Amino acid sequence: MALKADMKILVVDDMATMRKIIKNMLGQIGFTNLTEADDGAPAWQMIKDATELGIPYEFIVSDWNMPKMSGLDLLKHLRETPEYQALPFLMITAEAEQSNVVIAVKAGVSNFIVKPFSAQVLKEKIAKIFP
Amino acid sequence: MSVSSNFIEFSKPFVEASKNVFETMIFTKLETQKPIIKKDSTSKGDISAILGVTGNLNKDGVEVPYKGMLVLSWPYETYLKVASAMLMETHTKYSSEIADVGGEISNMVMGNAKRTLAEMGYTSSMAIPSLIEGPAHNLTYPNGTTVILIPINSAHGPFYMEICYIED
Repeated sequence: MALKADMKILVVDDMATMRKIIKNMLGQIGFTNLTEADDGAPAWQMIKDATELGIPYEFIVSDWNMPKMSGLDLLKHLRETPEYQALPFLMITAEAEQSNVVIAVKAGVSNFIVKPFSAQVLKEKIAKIFP
Repeated sequence: MSVSSNFIEFSKPFVEASKNVFETMIFTKLETQKPIIKKDSTSKGDISAILGVTGNLNKDGVEVPYKGMLVLSWPYETYLKVASAMLMETHTKYSSEIADVGGEISNMVMGNAKRTLAEMGYTSSMAIPSLIEGPAHNLTYPNGTTVILIPINSAHGPFYMEICYIED
């Protein structure tokens, strides 16, 4: 799958600071079609609504730890739904333990990034998802 | 009051994690000063991010529960510069827009330190960060704990790290 600048991306994080940082970095990389959600729960609804409207999200960048619905639960919801089984999903987390990576991989994550990270690292991770 | 060797060992990953976080996301190197034992509960900075951690230390087959706390405390001027660098936009006044910057930094420092702590035999469960704003505010430490204060210099100005550690 080739990268396109207007790919529809949803950034999910409960911290406004991190949403802004991720959007800044995605903007630096060249992406222009960015939307944000402050938890997994509204993100799940936004993803379904966008699909119904015929303008589905093409890439999800999500934090792991969120109060209402975690990034892991959002990922599981997506993978349990046939139309979202292949939706690219990049998980971002502050917790760098190996066990977390294993859990996310088992749940079907496309790639995994540990905070802190630079725009360059984000770009490299995205390139691996969309080779 | 002396500081246990476990406390010194426990505090090192936080210093290293802070250096990593600041270098990667705030584009500045940190210069840590000599740690001192803090004797009062008044913040050194105007804005403090506080994050608790609990878990067990498994050393030589013995499991000991512990409690810890990380405090990062910034003078207003430093906080504004740190937030501006991190968000890539200029902030000259403290506002709700930058209120979670401190919490996010402490979250990343704790998350990063957790990996090293795990290698050292510590299991750890992070709390949710809280933020206190206002000059010389009061900090509440876990009962009976010693508090290590580490002054830190950066290109954005000075700030302070505090670490508490107590074994139950």
